[in-house]
Amino acid sequence: MTIRRILLVGLCLMVVGLVPVLTRPPAPRAQGVDVFLNVTGGGAKKLNIAIPEFTLMGGADSAGAAKSLANIIGADLNFSGLFQVASATGPVPRNNPEALRKLWSDFAAAGAHAGLHGLLTVRGDRLEVEARLYDLTSPEQRPIAAKKFDLSSSQMRRLAHLIADDVVLQFTGQPGIADTKLAFTRATGGAKEIYVADYDGASPAPVTRNGSVNLSPVWSPDVRSVAFTSFSRGYPDLYRAFPFERRPEQVLAAFAGINTSPAFSPDGQRVALTLSKDGNPEIYVLTLGTGAFRRLTRHPAIDTEPNWAPDGRQLVFISDRGGGPRLFVMDAEGGNLRQITEGNHHTQPRWSPRGDVIAFTAREGGFNIWAVNADGTNARRLTETGDNQSATWSPDGRHLAFQTSRLGGWQIFAMFPDGSQQAPLIRGGADTSPSWSSRLP
Amino acid sequence: MVTRAVHLAAVSLLVTVTAFAGCAKRPAMTQASAPPPATAPAPVAAKPAPPPPPVVVQETVKETVTVTPVPAPAPPAPPAPTAAAAQPAPTTRPAPKEFAVNANVKDIFFDFDKYNVRPGDAKILDANAAWLKANPGQLVLIEGHCDERGTVEYNLALGERRAKAAMNYLVAQGVQASRFTVISYGKERPFCRESNEACWSQNRRDHFLVKAQ
Repeated sequence: MTIRRILLVGLCLMVVGLVPVLTRPPAPRAQGVDVFLNVTGGGAKKLNIAIPEFTLMGGADSAGAAKSLANIIGADLNFSGLFQVASATGPVPRNNPEALRKLWSDFAAAGAHAGLHGLLTVRGDRLEVEARLYDLTSPEQRPIAAKKFDLSSSQMRRLAHLIADDVVLQFTGQPGIADTKLAFTRATGGAKEIYVADYDGASPAPVTRNGSVNLSPVWSPDVRSVAFTSFSRGYPDLYRAFPFERRPEQVLAAFAGINTSPAFSPDGQRVALTLSKDGNPEIYVLTLGTGAFRRLTRHPAIDTEPNWAPDGRQLVFISDRGGGPRLFVMDAEGGNLRQITEGNHHTQPRWSPRGDVIAFTAREGGFNIWAVNADGTNARRLTETGDNQSATWSPDGRHLAFQTSRLGGWQIFAMFPDGSQQAPLIRGGADTSPSWSSRLP
Repeated sequence: MVTRAVHLAAVSLLVTVTAFAGCAKRPAMTQASAPPPATAPAPVAAKPAPPPPPVVVQETVKETVTVTPVPAPAPPAPPAPTAAAAQPAPTTRPAPKEFAVNANVKDIFFDFDKYNVRPGDAKILDANAAWLKANPGQLVLIEGHCDERGTVEYNLALGERRAKAAMNYLVAQGVQASRFTVISYGKERPFCRESNEACWSQNRRDHFLVKAQ
């Protein structure tokens, strides 16, 4: 009798205790994010990830994609600043779970927190990859996620960037920025043409070929068009080109005076720009759908270089109404105008996609990139070698690209928003005025 | 009989509960509908078993990313002047290359960061004005320029200020305003390319060109 009773009482207690467990909905936890937080919360600055050469599962890999993909992904993840990448020579043999387990154990013993195993199949002119991510902080080498990708083999670099961005997504909840483009100005002979390249400088190609002076390219948020100022028809007019479509350039503004300094609104529907047609340079907003121009500033000073806040509700610009040019902020209709920097000569303001910081160029003898909080506090210098101008933010706000003369001649470099890790981004040309695109749709 | 059945049910429920309680501590497992035992690390197998599929969130495995390739930039077609904006046709702007230098209309120069006409340059403009008034059939193109030190956009605006400063002075001297066209090249069309003040001072200039009406 006692046993029965004990069991029954125990059973009732169990049922009571069970209810919360059985009725709790499965937590939508991102496993990779947990791993990342555990690693960085535990004191490591970066997550160590092992990326061996991909395993060829089928087809012939004459182009060496199994190796290249791993290398490019490693470079992307290193660039992100979130990862320390370890590679291994020689691919993981296929269909050999024991070899994989041993490889991961060796990497884990060497300090790796995660491993990426790519399974590559070359099928005709297509590359199919299954990318498998493993948590090496767990003794059972728990798989975190697997994802399949299928691209033409001519898109091998893009395939690597997509995989890298997905790894970042798995670990941080936000995709990486490897699948982005840079537009910039390249000096060729006596001309300056607009070019587009991958964010890492690969595959630069001209967008303009008019032999004239083409300036200040900026991407539309949908990465389909680049607006820029060009002297191709004799005067500084504003155009829009479509690098990835067979589509002629459009004229955005060709008024008397200067037509310059374009900036697409975050929703892509408006372009802020500078026109001097009404007597002196003022800020206007062009609504692309209607073609209507709305004037925002009314002051005899130079007002130029508008740049949108990420919520599209405010603009930062420069004005020399107080003497030299300094940063001002106004709302998108032109009201609530206030100055946010004091100092000598501030130009080229760029609002971070995160909304909290504005990068700009300050002249103090030479030129340097500075950052200031959007409320005007904590202005600080980020560069100090050579002349540095024309900052542009990566779409996640984690990086800045800019032009520098520190190596003799202009070159595009990247750095983190605290000024660390300044290094070349685009090589091989005399390059200025970078604009960093959003992630390719 | 009944007590035995209850006994069994209680025990099996106990076992199940314990198993669940254990699982609750590993929330990852609750995501999959029925985690197969393959998640436990397989012991070193003597026989070559087929590789166990990784246990993953189902939707991730099923998702395949097939991306339409982004083609390389197409060679630019000759620009068709289709306006995106319904803007007023610009006042007919003369083609800059139809203008030429004339020794009677001389350039003037500016201090760094400044657009005001200096007294010495004012005398040059006086002479320019005299010739232009004596030759009313000549149109004038004033180019405003900056030296290389400076950011692209601000220098476009400063160059325009320099050109307008000269134009305003000449108009005040009696030259008809409608004869002038102003264009700023910012720092983009320097006269010389050395990085020193001797060259910079030559680049901070208004350059005058004329053409017959």
